[in-house]
Amino acid sequence: MATVMSTVAPPEQKHEPGPERERERSKDRVIGVFRATPFTYATLIIVSAVLCVPLVFVVSIALASDQTVNANTFTIIPREFHWDNFTRVFGTDLPMHRFLMNSVIISLGAVVGQVLSSGLVGYAFARLRAPGKNALFIIVIATMMIPAQITMIPQFILFKELGWVNTFLPLIVPNFFSNAFNVFLVRQFVSRLPSEIDEAAMVDGLGFFGIYRRIMLPMLAPVLIAIGIFTLTATWGDFMGPLIYLNDESKMPLALGVQYITSTSQALQAPPWNLVMVGSILLTLPMILVYYLGQRYLYEMDISGGSAGVK
Amino acid sequence: MMSKLRRREAMWFYLFASPWIIGFVVFLLGPMIASIYISLTDWDSFTAPEWVGLENYKRLLTDDPVFWKALWNTFYYAAISVPLGLVIGLWLANLLNKQVRVRKVFRTLIYLPTLVPLVATAMIFKMVLAPSGPLNDVLGVVGIPGPSWLLEAMWVKPALILLSVWGAGAATVLLLAAMKGIPRELYEAAEVDGASPIRQFWSITVPQLTPIIFFNLIMGLIGAFQVFSQVYILTKPVGGPDNASQMMVPLLFNEAFSFYHMGYASAISWLLFAVILVFTLMAFRTARRWVFYETEVK
Repeated sequence: MATVMSTVAPPEQKHEPGPERERERSKDRVIGVFRATPFTYATLIIVSAVLCVPLVFVVSIALASDQTVNANTFTIIPREFHWDNFTRVFGTDLPMHRFLMNSVIISLGAVVGQVLSSGLVGYAFARLRAPGKNALFIIVIATMMIPAQITMIPQFILFKELGWVNTFLPLIVPNFFSNAFNVFLVRQFVSRLPSEIDEAAMVDGLGFFGIYRRIMLPMLAPVLIAIGIFTLTATWGDFMGPLIYLNDESKMPLALGVQYITSTSQALQAPPWNLVMVGSILLTLPMILVYYLGQRYLYEMDISGGSAGVK
Repeated sequence: MMSKLRRREAMWFYLFASPWIIGFVVFLLGPMIASIYISLTDWDSFTAPEWVGLENYKRLLTDDPVFWKALWNTFYYAAISVPLGLVIGLWLANLLNKQVRVRKVFRTLIYLPTLVPLVATAMIFKMVLAPSGPLNDVLGVVGIPGPSWLLEAMWVKPALILLSVWGAGAATVLLLAAMKGIPRELYEAAEVDGASPIRQFWSITVPQLTPIIFFNLIMGLIGAFQVFSQVYILTKPVGGPDNASQMMVPLLFNEAFSFYHMGYASAISWLLFAVILVFTLMAFRTARRWVFYETEVK
């Protein structure tokens, strides 16, 4: 490949595209593989439509009447528009406001914990010198390989002994001890910052905590926001954690609560699917909002879509 | 001898790193050691554990047909859903990489399903895959009598794979970003040499992306081995008809939190770890290849 490249485009030309070259290119015919044909459009339209059918169907169910639910006569395209379903879930029909509130408390607790701890630990691993640091960092990397299922049972026993079962604590507190992936992200981020900054601050008489607090923390904003987004998405949608630790309906977050409604309805009676789907929509909307507001930071970090360190 | 300053710096390091160090000991190292011990006992978590040695492992590997079935189902699910998601992702990314009008709209629509939390996705598919749901309606129009997806042993795994493929937008966006990084000169050269679009795709796009595809394949497989929520929510009783959708983590969860077989469940978790470790080692073994490849090209 390298030889093909050099015969066609000499390196010096390759590195400076320049305005003339751009104009030259735009006059050219579009390169084969980039040419969109009617077939391209047809495929994209069909695929997008198929992928969106389930989403439209959800809205249709969410707006259906109770009669439609009982008769199980849903249509993909909404036919009835019972917008009051969205207010009903907050009334006496369902404890949706509690579910939402619980989700917010648990998720915010987890985000605060991860952001506070990961910044400190990542900075320490990137900048401070200490005997045993490299060995510890190898352990950080190694722990990423261990699946959560290994520690699930002993952790449950631990939290049970502490009397934390059926409280939010098992879902929030571990986040205040950071995790390997986030420590790694912060460390990589700090390593790319010029070390002259903290050296100058040191000369000015700032201690290590002062450097972290006043110099580093503002610069870490992009990576800490990314970590916040990851933690929020993971905690908001977490199902297994709440399933293990929370028994009372009044303590369930939305992700568990939505499922709980469908599993507790009587054998012969259909679950209130319209209200369940309202719950699913309430579960989804914040994630779309967070993605929309946060994608700038995720792309900036170059770690979107789980390809950390690949690109 | 360390200078006073260096000692102070080391002290601050351990102070700053203490959240992770404490968390590592309390939430990982301690529980791991406990898990090894628990896996060698018979324990209901209420009465005293009874030492049984390797009995749990022996029973799992030689005397538990459900475990082998769960292992097989997990392999089946991972081996189809992950490559399928990547192939569809690659195909869609290639379409979006063309000079398409309103590309952003298509990209958003394809990515949207991946933003839906798993529990909501499961709820949605419970309705989509219902015997008289929209999927079977569509199949009916074409003249195919649809199966009762989640209720039939033969169709429950394909149903779960279908759910995972709905999220192919994640791979699409990822691969699309990687495609943008391929030097244009390669395509220009191929065009001059008279290569067809299909040839350009197979001889330039695909080889240039193999490192990232491979990395995501391994990571995807590791994630797929840990599938839980969909199985738990969609198949009742957990494991589906005739255990046809029983998988490793739902099995572990059931043993631990439904039957309080803590020893047996812990043994399952270590066998799961062994399976995942094989794939992680594969990723690390081949890591040099994809890292080298990337730097060579750029």
